[in-house]
Amino acid sequence: MRLRTVEHGHRLSERLKLILIRLVSGRRVPDVVKTLFYRPEFFGRPMCDWTQAVMRGPSPWSVGERELFAAFTSRLNQCVF
Amino acid sequence: MDKQTGRYAALTKRLVDSVLAMPGHTASELRRSILARAARLGGRRDPADRPGDGVPSSLGGYVDTVAVHAYKVTDEDLTALQHAGNSDDVLFEVTVSAALGAALGRLERGLAALRGEESSPPVPLSAARRGGTQE
Repeated sequence: MRLRTVEHGHRLSERLKLILIRLVSGRRVPDVVKTLFYRPEFFGRPMCDWTQAVMRGPSPWSVGERELFAAFTSRLNQCVF
Repeated sequence: MDKQTGRYAALTKRLVDSVLAMPGHTASELRRSILARAARLGGRRDPADRPGDGVPSSLGGYVDTVAVHAYKVTDEDLTALQHAGNSDDVLFEVTVSAALGAALGRLERGLAALRGEESSPPVPLSAARRGGTQE
């Protein structure tokens, strides 16, 4: 993470959630999650709502197919996730 | 976005409205200009605007990099912008606006292709592809 405030500057409620995620997963919290949890009212919350609808909502495409589309697109963008 | 159609239009509008209108560390108008510039780089057909309109030259290069090939952003890029007086929150908002704009431009271009309206790709994306997964 290149922006220190997005890495460490979360509000208390989001910081607690990040700690919980780290404890449950046993892994470092991914940067994308830290980004979504930073000032979530600005970007993260509406982005998560959008993503949830697109990736898990009603669709003629299965969840697996949609994940495959996302992975392929990310690969084209050189974004590994 | 006004042109956005389909079942996700309301969610897309809420996302864009939030990023553009939410009180922040940058002017809403700057975010709007950055988003529009990045959307054009992503493929939006928007002849009403010209690239760079409203985006300071000191941020233009960074916005374009985020929009076209974000993986090329370096620590040095961010350090230079910070030394120029931009706080982390400013850079966060600039980055989100650029990334969202580029994503919307690509989304609109993809939907246009599905409707059979798409012709040749815009130049910036063609240039970006040269720096894509082959590097």
